[in-house]
Amino acid sequence: MINKIKSTLAILSIAASPVFADYPEKDIQGIIQWGAGGSTDTVMRSIAPHVEDELGTDIVMINRTGGVGAIATKYVYAQKADGYTLLMGAENPQMYKVLGLGEIDYGDMVPISILARGTPIFVAQNDAPYNNMREFVEYVQQNPGEVRTGMTGNGGLTSIVLAMLDSQVKLDLTRVPYNGDGPALTALQSGTIDVMSTVLGAAIDHVRAGRMKVIGLMDNSENALVPGVEPITEDFPGLSNYLPWGPFFGVFVKQGTPEEAVIKLQDAFRKAATNEDFVNIMTNRGYTMMNLSGDEASSFLDKYKSVSSWLVYDAGYAKHSPADFDIPRPESN
Amino acid sequence: MESLQFFATSWLSPDLMLLTALGTFLGIYVGAIPGLSVTMAVSILISFTFAWDINNALCLMVGIYMGGVYGGSRTAILLNIPGAPAAIATALDGYPLAKKGMAGQAIGLSTVMSVVGGFVGIFVLAVAAPLVSDFALAFQPRDYMMLGILGIMLVGSLSGESLAKGMFAGALGMLIGTVGLDPLTAEERFTFGHVELWEGIHPVAVMIGLFGLAESLEQLHHLDKAIIKQKVSRIVPSWKDVKRFLPLSLQTSSIGVIIGALPGTGGEIAALMAYDHAKRVSKKPEVPFGQGAKEGLIAAESSNNAAVGGAFIPMLTLGIPGDAVTAVFIGALFIHGLNPGPLLLETKPDMFWFMVGTLTMANIFLLIFGLTGIKIFSKLIQCPKGILIPVIFVLSIVGAYSINNSVADIWWMLGFGVLGYFMKLYGYQVGPVILGVILSRLIDENWRRAIIAEREDLGAFFAGIFASPLSLILLSAIMLILLSKVSFIKEWVGRIARS
Repeated sequence: MINKIKSTLAILSIAASPVFADYPEKDIQGIIQWGAGGSTDTVMRSIAPHVEDELGTDIVMINRTGGVGAIATKYVYAQKADGYTLLMGAENPQMYKVLGLGEIDYGDMVPISILARGTPIFVAQNDAPYNNMREFVEYVQQNPGEVRTGMTGNGGLTSIVLAMLDSQVKLDLTRVPYNGDGPALTALQSGTIDVMSTVLGAAIDHVRAGRMKVIGLMDNSENALVPGVEPITEDFPGLSNYLPWGPFFGVFVKQGTPEEAVIKLQDAFRKAATNEDFVNIMTNRGYTMMNLSGDEASSFLDKYKSVSSWLVYDAGYAKHSPADFDIPRPESN
Repeated sequence: MESLQFFATSWLSPDLMLLTALGTFLGIYVGAIPGLSVTMAVSILISFTFAWDINNALCLMVGIYMGGVYGGSRTAILLNIPGAPAAIATALDGYPLAKKGMAGQAIGLSTVMSVVGGFVGIFVLAVAAPLVSDFALAFQPRDYMMLGILGIMLVGSLSGESLAKGMFAGALGMLIGTVGLDPLTAEERFTFGHVELWEGIHPVAVMIGLFGLAESLEQLHHLDKAIIKQKVSRIVPSWKDVKRFLPLSLQTSSIGVIIGALPGTGGEIAALMAYDHAKRVSKKPEVPFGQGAKEGLIAAESSNNAAVGGAFIPMLTLGIPGDAVTAVFIGALFIHGLNPGPLLLETKPDMFWFMVGTLTMANIFLLIFGLTGIKIFSKLIQCPKGILIPVIFVLSIVGAYSINNSVADIWWMLGFGVLGYFMKLYGYQVGPVILGVILSRLIDENWRRAIIAEREDLGAFFAGIFASPLSLILLSAIMLILLSKVSFIKEWVGRIARS
């Protein structure tokens, strides 16, 4: 009897297993790692309608916040690898292992698309007595501890950018913690902090309005949005190993998702990411479009992980050594 | 003249008018259901209205925001479940009014006063936005900390008969508020290794449990009691009442605008501080606060709706969100190809006046929708307890789940419901607990931020307070309340005065 049930179940399960040539045949769930109104949320909600057009199905998006994105990552990993649950996230999971925040990172996922990346810059109060990184470094060296900068938590953009700078020159800054670059940029305008490292897009409008000034560009080439600002590699050529580096937005599915589904999703996102409206929104916000998938995406992710993990480890606030997870040190060019 | 034309944009188009009306109507219901937040509704609308014209999308979203902040008061008054944290202060006196059979009157009064508050907020937004946003930016971490301490002093107002029990409850709330990743260092606090606890215990789960579930558990004791008949003859408050309470409403609305405009605080803190203010200035309320004082209801409702206009001030002038909902609005403007930064006012002045116009219209629709259907609503709580209590249970569970689509929040809600039930049995008020949960993070974060910014030098910290007029005012307010409220200090001062 039991055997009979078992065999019936087995037959049923074969019958029920989806034929992936028809993918997608139902709505797709998009799990957003960050809260409503945040940058990840806005980026994902602005590309989704274009992807829906390509796939001919709806993407139902849900914000599952918490644990610096770990809750959403764990959730998607716990679902079936059938291509119906997408993880829509930012760069954070790449640091989970060394920071001891979780066991699953993007290495356990298949990248559908790395949509875009941000460029880190340094902004300062308008009346600050320094206008570029050289003057800034000199000023901090002459006035140790006097300059206050905003921090957004270990593993966040500020911590990695300051670790990069630290690898070249030791600076005594007073580091005031904030919950994100939004509140920190507000504090810069309130005069609570003097300097802030942030992603270009978050500060560009305040700069355009003359409420703060750009003093540094963490990239190895100039950026059209901040003309006349020298890339940091002019002053610190040693940083070219790490750059370009920047927080990114990406869409992932669980490893083991059928090839057909992955390819269809990758195609849909690749086409959607070239949509003029979407590209305009992204470039206006100061993001650099990437639109990577497959091997290109994987190698970008690996580089991000290797640069950030070792920087954080060398700066002394990693819980585990990147070597424990076979993360190679970034190669010098 | 041009601004008038932009102001009228949404008034001249039947489509936009209809969408604003629809938004306001939906907002009232979204706001009334605990766990469904305005933030959530507005962000879902972003993708829904993606292909729409920007003005259409904004009308719908503004309506939802305006209606949603008000809607929270409905369930707060009728069922003691605040629809959102901003309606906690509403429940304190609104629910006792409903228990006395005056639910209809309470809803009517709260509607009118919400609308008054809304207009004050919009008025300040229209005439003084740049001024207020500069003022809001002047707030330093130490000032936010002192605002939090001012708020914590509300424990004195919320304690009921025993201050000691109130302080215990407040401290418990602050302890609950510390659970999760340390907001500054991301160190784990009281998480016992569970990732699910990193973000802490959601205040809304605590709120639904302590207010809604605990109340209905307590109601089980009174199943045999006759149901109170709701008087629904006079719903629209008399002109005399409105005139009498208008000064208070204007005062508390001003508190709402300022607190709403501060990027670090929102409607829930505004309403609680306004409630405290009302309690201090109302020398002779007809009924004591906490037992159905209309003053308390008015303060809470006018201030949280005034906070809506307030929250738009830094958003429209500087691109800095005044609260979570305006943060979503910023996202929406981006998606529609606008740059809602500090340049918006210069490059697209039409957007500013369009928002002011639409907010005004939504506020008028609020008055219309708010005053209709009250009879049915207040009759709702006349249905037998055997039906009502299970409905509240289900509503609480659905509400808790929808905060974050997480079953864990249901368990928290149930746990706090049972805790709240026993607290009520032993004469502890639940108000101070939720106050502690909401304020602990504000105080914790800002105290540490302030002291870190001074390189842990207490002398420099106090020097900073005495160098800033704003900080000095806040400090003196704290000292004055402390001196006037604590009995042994009061006696001591009295003795000195006599001798």
